[in-house]
Amino acid sequence: MADTNNKIEFREDDFVLIQQDKRVTDKKLDTKPTTFFKDALRRFRKNKASVAGSIILGILVLLAILVPILSPCNITTVNTPEAFLAPKFFEAGTGFWDGTRKMTRIVYDMDNEVPALSGKYSIEAVKASLVKITVDGEPTKIDAANPYGQGGVVVLATDAAVEGRDTLMSSKAVNFDVNGEYKLDVVFSDEDGVSSSEIGEYAVYLKSGDDTIMLRDFSRDYSPLSVDISQILKENGLDSMRAQIVFEVKSAVSGFQYVLIESAVISAKDTVENAEDIAAVSIADATDFINESDTNSLAYWSCTGRKGIHNSEIYYCDYVIDTYELVYGDADLMTYSATELNNWIAAGYCTYDYQVGPESFVKLSDECPIDVVDSQTVMGITKKLSNITARGFGYRKMGYDKMPKFIFGTDASGFDLFKRAFAGLRTSLILGVCTAVFCFTFGLIWGSVSGYFGGSIDLWMERFCEILGGVPWIVVMTLCILHLGNNFFTFVLALCLTGWISTAHRTRTQFYRFKGREYVLASRTLGASDARLIFKHILPNSMGTIITSSVLMITSAIFSEATLAYLNLGLQGQQSFGVMMSNNQQYLGVYPNLVIFPAVVMALMMISFNLFGNGLRDAFNPALKGSE
Amino acid sequence: MAKYVAKRIGLAFMTAFIILSLTFILVKLLPFERPVGGDAQQIAYFDKQYNLGYVHRFDRERPQYGEYLYKTPTNHGRANYYYQVPVLEQYVNWLKNIVTKWDWGYSKTFQPNVSAAVIIGSRIGYSIRLNILSVIFSVPIGILLGIWAALKKNTMTDHTISTLVMVFISIPSFVLISFILRVFSYDLNWLPSSWPTESASTAMKVQGYIIPVFCLSFGSICGYCRFTRAELCEVMESDYLLLARTKGLTRSQAIMRHAMKNAMVPIFPSILAEFIGILGGSMILEQLYGIPGIGKLFVLSLNYKDYDILFVDMAIFTTLGLLAGILLDLSYGFIDPRIRMGAKK
Repeated sequence: MADTNNKIEFREDDFVLIQQDKRVTDKKLDTKPTTFFKDALRRFRKNKASVAGSIILGILVLLAILVPILSPCNITTVNTPEAFLAPKFFEAGTGFWDGTRKMTRIVYDMDNEVPALSGKYSIEAVKASLVKITVDGEPTKIDAANPYGQGGVVVLATDAAVEGRDTLMSSKAVNFDVNGEYKLDVVFSDEDGVSSSEIGEYAVYLKSGDDTIMLRDFSRDYSPLSVDISQILKENGLDSMRAQIVFEVKSAVSGFQYVLIESAVISAKDTVENAEDIAAVSIADATDFINESDTNSLAYWSCTGRKGIHNSEIYYCDYVIDTYELVYGDADLMTYSATELNNWIAAGYCTYDYQVGPESFVKLSDECPIDVVDSQTVMGITKKLSNITARGFGYRKMGYDKMPKFIFGTDASGFDLFKRAFAGLRTSLILGVCTAVFCFTFGLIWGSVSGYFGGSIDLWMERFCEILGGVPWIVVMTLCILHLGNNFFTFVLALCLTGWISTAHRTRTQFYRFKGREYVLASRTLGASDARLIFKHILPNSMGTIITSSVLMITSAIFSEATLAYLNLGLQGQQSFGVMMSNNQQYLGVYPNLVIFPAVVMALMMISFNLFGNGLRDAFNPALKGSE
Repeated sequence: MAKYVAKRIGLAFMTAFIILSLTFILVKLLPFERPVGGDAQQIAYFDKQYNLGYVHRFDRERPQYGEYLYKTPTNHGRANYYYQVPVLEQYVNWLKNIVTKWDWGYSKTFQPNVSAAVIIGSRIGYSIRLNILSVIFSVPIGILLGIWAALKKNTMTDHTISTLVMVFISIPSFVLISFILRVFSYDLNWLPSSWPTESASTAMKVQGYIIPVFCLSFGSICGYCRFTRAELCEVMESDYLLLARTKGLTRSQAIMRHAMKNAMVPIFPSILAEFIGILGGSMILEQLYGIPGIGKLFVLSLNYKDYDILFVDMAIFTTLGLLAGILLDLSYGFIDPRIRMGAKK
């Protein structure tokens, strides 16, 4: 090596090859090099709970995508006949999740031996689909008139605490004569304190015009009263008398007075002409009496005060009913139009000649929805068939090929809850993903800039985040919705407005952690630009944590959407999970399936999302490497 | 230290001021909702608004101010016309009212002409009572469960507790409330299915607290449990605990004297913050259970489109949130000597 004029010159023989004849015993690594993400994936797979979570999550997402597309059920136009069907997964009769519903404490109709139902169901249908009835051994006593009640006592009470305002209950006038052996038997009850009033003084008498014949004068004697009217007429020297039977309750200055009448029966010889009249006037059963006098316009008794019932006996029953059988089962008298019938005839399903009548119906194919024609209606002028009533399966009339099955049941509008739940979930997921993607992108850029440059840029950006982050999300959402309406776009906007802050914050922290590291310094010395340092060197290292937080942002978007629906600010114009749940909340007592099934889906979704997110977090955390 | 505290509080105050100003302007920019009620009520309302500086009052029509909001019934040919004041001017007047009179406005449709302060005052008690009860209930249970899980780390007990906590922390509150209502109110019929009325018996009122307190506590219990477990596990693996054991302390002595103290450091501030924070978190519960608190008020004022009340309610939630944040930050510094507040990085 020669050093001339401060210049260094190298010649070939300045270099000496060393270790030229030595054997290298080091081996090249056989194992494949792994990347950060590959390693994370490997560790994620080891975490069994997270894998289970992701599988459930995958199934739910798949259902949310497929169910709204594949299910043929209608979830847009209201269809009341199919409302409130019970969830059905197994065939009817298995006793669990089979479309049956247990009805408890339903008033029992002892005469027809069926539960007393109103409206929708006919007695035959209820009888046919009853699975189990239990009637309590002892009847329940209620103080109200019920069409299915029995027994009890009539409460005859004054309606004012004023002296002289006696209450009179008088029957229609009935003919009595001396030969008819007319008898009146009245049974009273002496129970005091009914409806916090006082049992009072009363009288019973016969009244004909201005004449009265006392049967029992004003007293507090509540023993049974038995009088022979014919005998009394004879004593009064009368042959016959057209008289009313009157009960009078004496009023008092303070407090309401009443008297309790268990029964008041008029009996007579079998041969009398007015047997029907006296039977109608008799009070044999207090509840029946009250029911009739309340509904019957030909009231046999008139009353000037208050008349009520006490201790009416009523039976309650529990029973299990197949809700599908009622709606879709074999039913009589369903109306079909002539057009429908002609279509079937044209398709060769059946033959029918309306000039012959219902007997001419012949079913040719199983495709035909009806089995028997009951009757037909022919238009008056044109003599053409307008419609027929027929017997067949309800589901055929409603356009199903076989008995439908709703695994979650149907809601108040007759929508399939299963499809609605997953259609709502799809909207929620789209909302969540849109929000997460935006927040991820924006938060990442914001956080990177803030964290990388630091100094006063960071300070101002941080202040901005602090102020924006100080606004509760509910306030942001409410204001956005009030100003822009509750549509999908507003929801994305409102969720994004504050959602990105957490991502930005996390990114910034990661940048503070990594920007001083040696590898960054090395790259900077080699002349790497800011952008290269940010995106090539620092970001990949902090990606794991940020991705995890973005995944969990989807759950918070779903949660926010549902919460707003409960505050009456729900998403409109789309199938919304929250709106569905909050609408169904009112049926929690009667049709719990409407709340419980979506709730379970929601809970599953949240749990699996969190499991998945936790797994991701652990997998991406280099500090946990090798600890398991 | 004092300087840092003052700076922190000052900053929070600024933040609150900016947020409330923005919220006020945004609320005032909403379309004007007319008050309800007869003329007397309307006049009373508009006169109050006039005194607060939110509307103009003229004795004749002034079309340059836009359409009048309200016209008083004609009295011998004379009538008053009320016009809306520009929003920024309203904002200045609002600031003036707050600073000089502490006047937050009046209800328009929800409880006409009752001041916001009175409405909030009559309702905030329910929310506070519920939250105090729920904190009293959830802190010991949550921390004890957390300690139990940490002491039995990686055993069946720990796994069960951790799994349950994970499950319950994931379930949204409205789902949980629905389940609890269904089981305890409808199926078993043990507890009332909605908040008892004022006339209900004392026993009924006490029972009415059970479901809301339980629902509110659930999330907190899970949160405390998870937090305590994580902290205690970390402390248990620390060197000083190993030292304590090597110098002859029993396991329980080491845990009671050394581990517990240090593990509790980050937990106490979170209790404080939580106490303030969950005041706003019971909105859904109040709505579903019909509790007449400030969360329910939020929904009611929205339904009635009573935006002045809505704004005050929002202001409360915002302030509470900020307060919780400061409390959390400051209490860390007070409790944990390792953290020096305001120290240079």
